Amino acid sequence: MVPTQTLRKHPPLQENLLLILHELQNGSGRNYLTEEDLQAVAEYLNITRAAVYGVATYYSMLSVKPRGRHVIRLCKSPVCDMMGAPGVTRILEELLGVAVGETTPDGVFTLEESACLGRCDSAVSMMIDGQYYGALDAPALARIIGRFRRG
Amino acid sequence: MSTGKRSTVHIDGREISALEGSNLLQVARENGIDIPGLCYHKRLSPTGACRLCVTRIEGRPGLVMACTVAVREGLRVTAFDDELEEARRHTLDYLLAEHDDDYDGTWRDELRELTDRYGLTDPAARRYPNICREIGYHADESSPVLTYDAAKCIKCFRCIKACEEIQGKSVLSFSERGIASHIIAGFDRWEESECDGCGECVQLCPTGALVEKPHRATIRLDRLERKVISTCPYCGVGCQIELNVQEGRIVRVNGVEDFSPNYGRLCVKGRFGCDFVAHPARLTTPLVRRQGELVPVSWDEALTLIAERFGAIRDGHGPDALAGYASAKCTNEDNYLFQKFVRRVFGTNNLDYCTRLCHASTVTAMLRSIGDGAGTNSIEDFARTDCLFVTGNNMIETHPVTATYVKAGVRTGMKLIVCDPKWTPLVKHAHIWLQPRLGTDVALLNGMIRQIFEEDLVDRQFVDERIQGGQDALRELRLQVEAYTPEVVETITTVPADLLVEAARTYARAPTAMIATGMGMSQQVTGTNNVFALINMMLITGQIGRERCGIDPPRGQNNVQGATDVGCSPRLFPGYIPVTDEANRTRMAALWGVSGEVLPADPGLSTVEIMHAAHEGRVRGLYIMGENPMVTDPDLNHTRESLERLDFLVVQDIFETETTRYAHVVLPAASFAEKEGTFVNSDRRVLRVRKAVESPGEAREDWRILVELAERMGAPIGQYESAREIFEEIARAAPMLGGISYGRIETEGIQWPCPAADHPGTATLFLERFNTPDGRAILNPVDHVEPGERSSERFPFILNSGRLLYQYHSATMSRRNNSLNSFVNESYVLMNPLDARRQELSDGERVRLYNGRGELTTTLRASKEVAPGELFMPWHFSESPVNNLTRGELDPLSRIAPFKLSACAVERVSTHTVRGQ
Repeated sequence: MVPTQTLRKHPPLQENLLLILHELQNGSGRNYLTEEDLQAVAEYLNITRAAVYGVATYYSMLSVKPRGRHVIRLCKSPVCDMMGAPGVTRILEELLGVAVGETTPDGVFTLEESACLGRCDSAVSMMIDGQYYGALDAPALARIIGRFRRG
Repeated sequence: MSTGKRSTVHIDGREISALEGSNLLQVARENGIDIPGLCYHKRLSPTGACRLCVTRIEGRPGLVMACTVAVREGLRVTAFDDELEEARRHTLDYLLAEHDDDYDGTWRDELRELTDRYGLTDPAARRYPNICREIGYHADESSPVLTYDAAKCIKCFRCIKACEEIQGKSVLSFSERGIASHIIAGFDRWEESECDGCGECVQLCPTGALVEKPHRATIRLDRLERKVISTCPYCGVGCQIELNVQEGRIVRVNGVEDFSPNYGRLCVKGRFGCDFVAHPARLTTPLVRRQGELVPVSWDEALTLIAERFGAIRDGHGPDALAGYASAKCTNEDNYLFQKFVRRVFGTNNLDYCTRLCHASTVTAMLRSIGDGAGTNSIEDFARTDCLFVTGNNMIETHPVTATYVKAGVRTGMKLIVCDPKWTPLVKHAHIWLQPRLGTDVALLNGMIRQIFEEDLVDRQFVDERIQGGQDALRELRLQVEAYTPEVVETITTVPADLLVEAARTYARAPTAMIATGMGMSQQVTGTNNVFALINMMLITGQIGRERCGIDPPRGQNNVQGATDVGCSPRLFPGYIPVTDEANRTRMAALWGVSGEVLPADPGLSTVEIMHAAHEGRVRGLYIMGENPMVTDPDLNHTRESLERLDFLVVQDIFETETTRYAHVVLPAASFAEKEGTFVNSDRRVLRVRKAVESPGEAREDWRILVELAERMGAPIGQYESAREIFEEIARAAPMLGGISYGRIETEGIQWPCPAADHPGTATLFLERFNTPDGRAILNPVDHVEPGERSSERFPFILNSGRLLYQYHSATMSRRNNSLNSFVNESYVLMNPLDARRQELSDGERVRLYNGRGELTTTLRASKEVAPGELFMPWHFSESPVNNLTRGELDPLSRIAPFKLSACAVERVSTHTVRGQ
C-alpha cells in the first residue's frame, strides 16, 4: 500500500506514531519499514527522522531491515529455556538454513527471538506471524514449517 | 518551578539560602559543594540518568538524585559521606565498563575528570572488566562538522535535550535498546539527517562522544594559548563566543554560557565559521593598481597616494565629489572614525553603508511613527510574548539563535504567525502561515487592520493616550482601509479570507504580541509603506509600549545597528541627530575640535544614490571600508559602470572581493578577531569585541588607517591610543550611549538608551512615551500599490532573493570556511514544480535567468517552497549574481532598492556546445 493512504487514516498527531508504524509494516506485505515509509511518516507528523527511526528500532515488533513473508518468534523465557529451547532453536536453524536474526534466501522466513510469550504451560513455544505454536519438538517443527512452505 | 520565595536548606551541616523550587544540585554547586554528575546541565531540564549525584535526604528512603530534587524549606541533605562516595564510585566503575577510555586531548572530558577524582583511572582499580569492544559500538563520522562515537557515549541525554530544549530542533534520538542503544541523527546517518551543524550537542557532551571535526588533528586542549571572549562576526544577534587560540590560530569556538543574548547557544556559522580569519587569501599588504594589475606597495606609498588623489578631487571638484561607504562588519570605533573622517576630512555627508539596502525602509517608517528605528525588545522576549507575528523574515536561517527563543516560546504556548511568500523552516512551527503574493504586503496588513476594526479589537484607551490625533487619526485610518475586505484582499494577495481573519484576531486578542520584520518587508519599492502598515496594526491594538510588546527588525549584520548608532548616515550624526540640526552640529564640531562651519550641513547621498552619482560623474572618488557593492548593490551592470567611471576608488577589506577588482588602491584591514572594539546587536546591546590573534602580514585595524590618512590629508581626526579611547568619545557624541563604558560591559553588554553611568540600560523601548516630539506615536495610513514591475509575456516570473543558513551576505567570510561550504556552496533557483513542468524543465538542470538588465546561470530546483509564478534564489554566490537582475529603482521615502521583486525569464542552458570551425 502507498504510505499516504495509511497515513491519511489517522490525524497527524505524534501519539499516532506507533499505530501508523504498525499499520505500515503489517499492511505492506513486506513485514518491515522502508526508509520511504519512515520519511513519509516524519513528514506527515511534522517530526524529525530520528524521532521515527528511534521508535522503529526500539520496539522488537518493528523492523527497519528487510524480513521474510513470515516472521518466526521463538520464546526466550527461562521456562522455555529449561524445557529445551536451545535444542529447538538449533533444529529450526537447520530446517531453515539461517541463524537467529536472519532471513531465508527465498524471502519466506525470518527467524527471531522474542521475550516471554506467556504460554509457559506449553513450552517450548513460538509464534509465526500472529499465530501461536506450543509444545515444540523436531516433528512438530518439521510439520509446521512444511505447511508454511507449501502454503 | 521557582516561586520567588527563598528557603533555607542544610547541606552537610551548612545552612544555605536558595530560591524555593530551584534545583538542589545546582544550588549545591553554586555554593561550592561539588556533587558529581554527568547528565545534569544547568541549561537543560534534569534527567536523572547517570545516578552520580546521589545524596541522602532526611525523611526520604534510600539514595536520592540531587538533580531531581526541588529546593524547599527545611530540606536536610547529606552530600558527602563514605557510603555515598562508594555508591558513586561503583556507578562510575559500571559506566566505565562499557566505555572506551581512549583520549586524544581534543575535548573536555567530564567523565575522565571524575574517573580521576574517584581513583579509577587505572583499569586495575576497577571492579568490572571492560566490555566496550565486544558490544560492537559504531561511530558516525558522516557529518561535515562533528563525529559521534557510541563507545564514548554514556547515554546521558544531554545532546538530545540540547537539540530539543535549547535549539528547538529535535534532530537527535536514541536507537535500539539496552546496551546497544546509541544516539542517532536521521536514519542513523548524520549527514542525511536534518542536523544543521550548530554543535550545541557537542558543546554539552560530557564525554567526547560528540566532538568537533574541524582542527581535530591539530587541537590539543592542554596547548591552548588563550580563550578570548568576543562577539560573533556574522548576523545581528551578537552571540558571545569564546575563541580558543592555539599556535596563534583560532582552533575552536564555544558559546559563552552565562550571558545574553545567546546564553551558550550558537549557530553553525558562529561555531564553525571563524576559519576565514586564518585563510591564506587574507590581504597582507597594501596594493596599488599599476598597468591594470594590483601590486604590493608599502603603507607609506599607498597612504601618500590616497591622500594625494582624494585631496586633489576634494580641492578640484569640491567635497561632494567624494563619498564613503562605511561597514556593518566593522566595530563602532571603526565606523565612528569613518564618519568623522568623511565629514571632517572629505567635508561631505555622502556617507552610507549597506543598511540602506536592508532595513532603511524599516528604520524610516519606525523613526517617523514611533521615533526610534531599533528593535523595541530584548531577545529573551521572543520566548515570552503571547503572540509573535514574523513577516518577511526567514529567521531560522538568518537569525538562528533568535529563532531558538521563538521555538521555545511556541513550546510553552506562544501563538506564531508567519507571513512569507516563500516557505521557510519557521513555518513548521507556526500556527498560521500567510503566503501572500510578492509585493502585496500593504493590502494584506490593511485587510488585517480592517478586520480588527470590524471586530472592535481596537485598544481605544491606548489610541486616546498614546497616538497623535487620537480618535480622529483612528477614523482616518479606518477610512483608508475600508476597501480592504477579506475577499478583496484574497483577490490581491491570494491569502484565503478565513486565514486572514484568524491571523488578525490572534494578533489583536493576544495579551501581549510582538512583530519581527525582515528584508521581505523592507526590500521593496513600497518598503516604507509596508512597515507603516505593520506599525498601524500594532498601534491600534496597543501591542507596543508594554513589556513583551513591540516591533523588532532583527539586523542582518553583526554591527548594522551600531554603524548607524555612531552616525554612518548621510542624514544623521552619532545618536540619530539630524545633520541639519545646527545646535548639534556646533556641539559635534566642538567635540571634534573644529569650528561649526567645517561640518557639512546638507544631507548627503545614500548608498545607491552614490553609485548613480558616480555614473553621472558627480562623485569621482569613493572610499569603501569593508563593503562589497559588486555583489550587494542592485543592478550590478550599472554598479560596475559606476565604479569604472570613478577617478579614484579605495577599498579597505580583509580579502580581495568582487569590488576590489575595480579599486585603484586596496588596503589590508584587521578582522574582528584581531582588534578591540564594540558591536551593537539587534536588541541595542553594546557588546565587546576582543583581540584573540595577530593580524596577518601588515594588515591594520581600520581606525588606525583612518587616523593616519586624516593626518596625511591635513585634517587630523584625533590621537587615540586604543579603541577604548574612541568609545569614550562616542559616549560623549551619542547621548543614548552616554552611560556606557568598556568597564561596564566587561562581562555582559548594556542595551541603549543608557544616558548615564548609573543607568542600567533599557530592555524595552517606549514604556512611557514614544521618541517623537510630543511623545505620541503617529499613524501613517497607506494604500496598496500594484508593484511597478510585473510579470509579462516576455518575463513571466517574479524573482525573490534571500539568504541561507550556511552562507552569509556576499560570502567574503563565509565561503572561506570549509565547514560551511561542505553544507551548501552552490547557487540555485527554486521554481514551483507546476511551472517547471510547464516550462519542460527538470530538477538539477542548468538554467539561464535573464531580463532587460542582465542575466545569470544557475541550477534549477523544483520546489513547492515557492508559489507558482514566483522564483527564489540565494544571493551569496557571485558566480550567479542575483543582482544582475534587480532594479536600481528606489523606495521614495527610504531610498531602499527592491531586491525582492524582479521580473525575469528562465530558459534551459543549451547542452550543445558550439564547436569552433
